[in-house]
Amino acid sequence: MALLDVENLEISIRFGHELLPVVRGVSFSVDENETLGIVGESGCGKSLTALAIMGLLEGSGVRVTGGRMRFGGRDLLAMSADERRHIMGNDMAMIFQEPMTSLNPVYRVGDQIIEALQQHRNLSRRAARRRAIELLDLVRIPEPDSRVDSFPHQLSGGQRQRVMIAMALSCDPKLLIADEPTTALDVTVQKEVLDLMLDLQKRTGTAIILISHDLGVIAETCNSVAVMYWGRLVETAPTDALFETLAHPYTRGLLHSIPAIDRDVDWLDAIPGRVPTIGEQIAGCPFHPRCPRAESRCRHEVPQPREIAPGHLVECHFPYGGDR
Amino acid sequence: MMAVASIRSVFAGRTFAQIGLVWLAFVALAAIFSPLIAPFDPYEIDPIARLTEPGWPHLFGTDHFGRDSFSRALYGARMTVLIGLGAVIVALLTGGLVGMLSAYFTRLGHVLMRGVDVLMAFPALLMALVLMTLLERSVMNTIIVIGVVYATTTARILFGMTLKLKGEVFVDAAVCSGAGHASILFRHILPNLVSPLLVQASFIFAFAQLQAAALDFLGLGLPPEVPSWGNMLSEERIYVTRAPWLLIFPGALIILSVFSMNLVGDAMRDSIDPRFKDDIAGV
Amino acid sequence: MSAQPLLDVRDLKVHFRTRGRTVRAVDGVSFDIAPGEVLGLVGESGCGKSTVGRALTQLERATAGQALFEGQDILSMSRRQFLPLRRHIQMIFQDPYASLNPRLTVAQTLSEPLFIHKIARSRKDAQARIAETLDLVGLGPEAMTRYPHEFSGGQRQRIGIARVMILEPKLVIADEAVSALDVSIQAQVLNLIKKLQRDSGMAMLFISHDLGVVRHISDRVAVMSAGKIVETGDKSAIFEAPQDAYTRRLLDSIPRIMPLKETS
Ligand SMILES: Nc1ncnc2c1ncn2[C@@H]1O[C@H](COP(=O)(O)OP(=O)(O)OP(=O)(O)O)[C@@H](O)[C@H]1O
Ligand SMILES: Nc1ncnc2c1ncn2[C@@H]1O[C@H](COP(=O)(O)OP(=O)(O)OP(=O)(O)O)[C@@H](O)[C@H]1O
Ligand SMILES: [Mg+2]
Ligand SMILES: [Mg+2]
Repeated sequence: MALLDVENLEISIRFGHELLPVVRGVSFSVDENETLGIVGESGCGKSLTALAIMGLLEGSGVRVTGGRMRFGGRDLLAMSADERRHIMGNDMAMIFQEPMTSLNPVYRVGDQIIEALQQHRNLSRRAARRRAIELLDLVRIPEPDSRVDSFPHQLSGGQRQRVMIAMALSCDPKLLIADEPTTALDVTVQKEVLDLMLDLQKRTGTAIILISHDLGVIAETCNSVAVMYWGRLVETAPTDALFETLAHPYTRGLLHSIPAIDRDVDWLDAIPGRVPTIGEQIAGCPFHPRCPRAESRCRHEVPQPREIAPGHLVECHFPYGGDR
Repeated sequence: MMAVASIRSVFAGRTFAQIGLVWLAFVALAAIFSPLIAPFDPYEIDPIARLTEPGWPHLFGTDHFGRDSFSRALYGARMTVLIGLGAVIVALLTGGLVGMLSAYFTRLGHVLMRGVDVLMAFPALLMALVLMTLLERSVMNTIIVIGVVYATTTARILFGMTLKLKGEVFVDAAVCSGAGHASILFRHILPNLVSPLLVQASFIFAFAQLQAAALDFLGLGLPPEVPSWGNMLSEERIYVTRAPWLLIFPGALIILSVFSMNLVGDAMRDSIDPRFKDDIAGV
Repeated sequence: MSAQPLLDVRDLKVHFRTRGRTVRAVDGVSFDIAPGEVLGLVGESGCGKSTVGRALTQLERATAGQALFEGQDILSMSRRQFLPLRRHIQMIFQDPYASLNPRLTVAQTLSEPLFIHKIARSRKDAQARIAETLDLVGLGPEAMTRYPHEFSGGQRQRIGIARVMILEPKLVIADEAVSALDVSIQAQVLNLIKKLQRDSGMAMLFISHDLGVVRHISDRVAVMSAGKIVETGDKSAIFEAPQDAYTRRLLDSIPRIMPLKETS
């Protein structure tokens, strides 16, 4: 059994009297030494999935309304709040998407790392401070012994993000969920940070879930990829297989939206339209209004996941590379 | 409509806060309609009916001047609301302005906030005592003193919150649009502080009650003849063994009201912007 | 170069003093931008890109140097002297969530610059201009009465772009303007920015750490490292024949997706 098993996860948001599903039946698993990438458009439910695993949805009007999550064989949803908190502090860590809002602007960054360290480990303040400086050095913050006393606003966006990463790495977690960890970073630092995470994985066997909208990052770091659209996983595959076939038209569209570094084009091939809003009713395949391959069947019949190759699942009536 | 819906969502599932709200509504009604409800004139002395036990027609009994305690308690609600609101207004206007300006104009802030820090070194009650001994006993002065005492904490809190908002990108964006200082402070920053300010106000309101009661009790607050719950305690404290009801009723009223205000404040605090939760840690 | 540049930055320095130490965030940066030209500014995180942009809009005080905008030095101007020029030097911010005041409707946000710079004569005039500008960025007039939280990230960034475009600026500084958007929305917004830039002929300083994006949108590229510009050149030169070691390292760090391009 894998370290983390998510089965048919459903997450809903309360709007007035209605409970509308946002994540609608998502299944995946990650094991030790594995990296799973989750990609998808903004608002498709990536962060909510991550927060649900971490048990951080409470009190936000968002609830897990179905499915199962098992961590190390134990049912996360059946656990008491205390057990959950214990796991969250010691076995799971998350790097949040917004470094600005996760760091408290009125405390020095060092103190925030020290607090995190002291919560999980029995360290003296002196030792915690030394460890904090080490961690800052690990994430390549220049002059860590003086930067440890900076306030968040005195750091650049990328440096703040690295502070967050240092905090997440401080407790050697079994599962690391990184929600857009490198969006604010430039490529050289991004590479360093990703290497850092993979390094941690090599040392401790940490399982990693990497949420990103940068397909390049996913391609280079992950063993397998799950492509999410409007709360569903529309394509799941080992990384190589995914990028070789690009079976789902949405996956393909995402890839073509990226400006190339080695060639000039005048206009980008953006996917037309927008993601449907929460609670919107769409008959048939949710992607069909934006899909270049849509036919009448797509407008009426919801596609079910199909295995087009071993480990390669696609939710599409007419995937590329499949027989039409 | 929106306001009603949001009030409902703040208090949904919080039984104690709801009870607190109902109690405060009672106090407010008593304050507004005390002249109509009160069966007796709260100032009328009746030497024959001294220290009557609770019963009919003196629901809460009478004090050692023979004044009707129930009527005095009703008028006391009036004082409670008056002093609470007055202190809130004074504290928010003075402290709020100092805090906001200090955070916005850094150099001015260095000077002003040092002053605030010095003042905060004194315990609230001590500061109120010192100020009251310098001033005449009156309703106005009590309000001003309590307001000023809580202005320091308000200044600190608003300083922190304004500092956070000042660093927000939308403030930079407003500067780039050419917005001036006043526009940034009052159009961009202040509206984002309204809900935390309301929460802060509810805590000041609660603590102002305690302060006022303490001052009255020490004989430094409102003039002794003014019907307030604190004065009722203070005036009758020597009769605690002979007429305990004279202390039990006003004491219970103070505790209930302060407690209710705190419950309501807590409920509101939990529903505001999480960024500001740490700032409003209580007064 | 024959024509006078629109913006000529000479030896710009921005130092921060914190707790007795000095951070040389920008340490002698020079570049120029011709009217209608897009200059991409790339470099590692913390190298001072944002600070350059912030100094040019007086969000940060420059320590030394000059920035001549149409011949006038904007760095030495007081806040008041700079005010009329703000109209011509506008900034698009990175974070579409943080850059809009949550308490103001879209119309209120967009009307603010109109009234400050006395572009709109009346409320009606302002309304008309706002509707027109919203249309320009692909939003309907019904957006006017709504609040930022009712929009998606991509839509918010369009509102941020509308706030800039409504002033018809001559120079737009875009600091990571599309970095917070996911790829498909990013492609839409990039196409939009490129179109607006071409139609209006405004010049742009496009700050980004995404080299693909910079290549797509820029005419020329400046590469920055540790507070200094290490290489400037036409984008084809920078991307195909980088001279500086740092630029080469930057280009080598880009994650690539191997087999993909043949399939298109
Ligand atoms: N606390 C909340 N209350 C109401 N709606 C929410 C809440 N949190 C998220 N949502 C909505 O749920 C949907 C999924 O959000 P989520 O944050 O998971 O998206 P995401 O895939 O992480 O997007 P992004 O790439 O922008 O981070 C969005 O439409 C979002 O607006
Ligand atoms: N207010 C400040 N006080 C002290 N130092 C600062 C301040 N603002 C920025 N710095 C420092 O200046 C340097 C440049 O920061 P800047 O934000 O310009 O970087 P950047 O190139 O935009 O990076 P990123 O790509 O991460 O956004 C950083 O080392 C940062 O720590
Ligand atoms: Mg997210
Ligand atoms: Mg920056």
